[in-house]
Amino acid sequence: MRMMTVFEKGEALRFIGHLDLMRTMQRALRRSNLPVKYSNGFNPHIRLSFAAPLSVGVVGRRELMEVPVEEGVTEEAYCEALNRVLPECMHIVSARAIDDSFPTLMSLVAGSRYTIKLMASPEADSAAAAFDKFMAMDSYVATRRTKSGDNPCDIRPFVKAGSISKTDEGYEIKLETIVFANGALKPSLWLDCLCTVAETSIPAHIIYRDVVLAKDANDQLIPMEEYIHG
Amino acid sequence: MPLNIDQLLERVEKPSRYTGSEMNAIVKPLSEAEVSFAFCFPDTYEVAMSNLAIKILYGVLNELPYAVCERCCMPWVDMRKELMENQIPLFSLESKTPLNAFDIVGFTLQYEMSYTNILDMLHLGGIPVKSAQRGETDPIVVAGGPCAFNPEPLHAFVDAVMVGDGEELIVEFTNVVRECRKNGASRQECLRRLSQLEGVYIPSLYVDEYNPDGTLKSLTPMDETVPAVINKRIHVNMDDAYCPTCPPVPYMQVVFDRIMLEIMRGCTRGCRFCQAGMLYRPVRERSVDKLCQLAKESVENTGYEEISLSSLSSSDYSHINELATRLTDELSDKRVSLSLPSLRVDKFVQDTLTQTQRVKKSSLTFAPEAGTQRLRDVINKGVTEENLMETLHNAFSNGWSAVKLYFMTGLPTETDEDLAGIAELAKKSAGVYYSIPKGQRVKGLRITCSASVFVPKPFTPFQWCAQDRPDEVKRKQHMVKELFRPLQSAHFNYHDSAISRIEACFAVGDRRMADVLYRAWELGCVLDGWNEYFRYDLWLQAFEDCGLDVDFYAHRVRGKDELLPWDHINAYIDKSFLWREYEKAMREETTRDCREGCNGCGLQRLKGVCSVCGLQRLKGVCSVCG
Repeated sequence: MRMMTVFEKGEALRFIGHLDLMRTMQRALRRSNLPVKYSNGFNPHIRLSFAAPLSVGVVGRRELMEVPVEEGVTEEAYCEALNRVLPECMHIVSARAIDDSFPTLMSLVAGSRYTIKLMASPEADSAAAAFDKFMAMDSYVATRRTKSGDNPCDIRPFVKAGSISKTDEGYEIKLETIVFANGALKPSLWLDCLCTVAETSIPAHIIYRDVVLAKDANDQLIPMEEYIHG
Repeated sequence: MPLNIDQLLERVEKPSRYTGSEMNAIVKPLSEAEVSFAFCFPDTYEVAMSNLAIKILYGVLNELPYAVCERCCMPWVDMRKELMENQIPLFSLESKTPLNAFDIVGFTLQYEMSYTNILDMLHLGGIPVKSAQRGETDPIVVAGGPCAFNPEPLHAFVDAVMVGDGEELIVEFTNVVRECRKNGASRQECLRRLSQLEGVYIPSLYVDEYNPDGTLKSLTPMDETVPAVINKRIHVNMDDAYCPTCPPVPYMQVVFDRIMLEIMRGCTRGCRFCQAGMLYRPVRERSVDKLCQLAKESVENTGYEEISLSSLSSSDYSHINELATRLTDELSDKRVSLSLPSLRVDKFVQDTLTQTQRVKKSSLTFAPEAGTQRLRDVINKGVTEENLMETLHNAFSNGWSAVKLYFMTGLPTETDEDLAGIAELAKKSAGVYYSIPKGQRVKGLRITCSASVFVPKPFTPFQWCAQDRPDEVKRKQHMVKELFRPLQSAHFNYHDSAISRIEACFAVGDRRMADVLYRAWELGCVLDGWNEYFRYDLWLQAFEDCGLDVDFYAHRVRGKDELLPWDHINAYIDKSFLWREYEKAMREETTRDCREGCNGCGLQRLKGVCSVCGLQRLKGVCSVCG
């Protein structure tokens, strides 16, 4: 049995990298005394896996991971035990028991929804003014930094929808992105490109991933936690 | 007022060095505290969070209801630049408060080459670097830790020094400052009151004089109310000593990312180069019951997957096998593994090896320190080649294939033959591996030999010795490197001779070294412990600008009767004992382990402190200790 776990990675922890987050969860699970399953071998560890890694600097509002647990653990007890031992800015929102035939969360990832808050500033005004122009472009080739070097990549196809609104603090951009076989789009790269188009430096901002998306039976993007198998 | 550092974090490497908010980090309201303490570690976060002292003292201080202790580490180059360019003061991890807003700013001194970082952190934190320039509203700057046993090179920068075990002293110290704050006592009055605490040294209350040859003539207290000798503090009973079972658990991977269970303090071996072995005397053990309880609590509070049994010489712990067995049994359901660091080669018995293996294979490290028996006798490293080969045989036949061997070059009396012995030892170690039938050993033999450069340290029998000159160090390193060339599975690494040279100057330095330190920092020296940032040229310039000679400190043999800069610090180790040990070293004579009988180091005069040396209680029996 596995627990599909929805958790929040708060603002204070947005600079924690993926591997560090993984270790933190391992340690939290060990502290929780929950009957989790360990791998065999000399270096036993919990085979937890995350649906989609979150980039450093991005706040996760509804992140997903799966944790192998022994039969009989209830969802409520699981959430309660983990929340008792997690640091303040990390919080389990909900959990759902899934059986072994359920596909891995990683294989279900189809996209993400982001909110980018731009703090009010002249740079933010310029970026906001260029938003429509940027969204109207058919293609935009950016340089993606990967382990194998810098690669040119058209980022436009990754963005399915976007909107911008003015708020008391500045601007709020909503972005829906989809993933392809060759990877996903980093929202920070998208913002870099917007600012390049707007010919401005990057304004003070904060990025949130609101939800990780999966595709339902009708090929519609839905929050992964609502995905029904079979 | 907490600082807003978010925009800086976007731009620096490893931002989680600066964010705090770890599991078990203690955040108490700073404004409600009667006294606040910034515990500063003069190196980066990942080094700091691997240190046991910070975990202990952070816990001790935060248990006081009226005190708040927050942590602060040396920022990395990129963050340091951001702080300076944006004029943001260096801040604490917990509440992001600038250093100068704390009542006490305390540094732990683990390594001489972190001294420029202390000056830099003070400056970045908005505190005048020199003690004499601090005013009534500035924090009291204090330092402690092993290097505090010769605090003289820092005399101009710290207001106070704590000598010895800190668990109780830091509370007494903090309380005096708290009282002074409450009563509106002046800074000077506060320092005077602190000087009355046993184990506290206030450098500004002493005057130094020198002989024409440059050696120290005297270091005298300003008046009779100031103690002439500072006694180190000793916490006698380890079972009631505070153990940090709920320390902050870093998000990022730090150097020692595990539970450090301090099983004992002190060491009875008496290796003659080893400062810790002398400073942390006497040996004090925690009981097995207590340790099992502490280990369980630690695992429950941290979720760590590994415990290391930490001490200067863990295999000397009297019940090491019982402890390893019980810990393995009690923790295996949580998949917690056990590692035994700093193992001496002689007592690492096979059943302990097997215990360790039951949970996880950790890498094996041994420290023969010298290549020949002759030189090992000189340094009193009671390890024979036979010991080492037997242990390696056990290790290789139990599934290990990688070992690290630690050596030192430039030890007193060392000859080229001793150096060649290092390569010989590596060769013989490989021989042991190949003597085991193929099916019974694990593939991939790797023998890594690392050699540091000998640095004379205060309170050791070698405190009078000179360090090799840089060209001689290089010649020796090169010679050994060549001897390793034909060896296939063995590698030889060595330390930078220039860094060790400056380290020696600070280790045995007097008050005048403070000028060099200040000048070097002015010239831009920081993070000297990191090879890529060590600027030898600037250090040499600093010496020249101050009219001081590197040779005088690093390459001079000190006289028997010379007043040493740390002679006013009492570590309860008699200078006469150290001299006796030095002479024995020159005669290639060894000294027995204290457990086999008291060697009369000086501690025996403190009643009821040293439990190992029981003989001194029988009057007239032991001729050594009286």
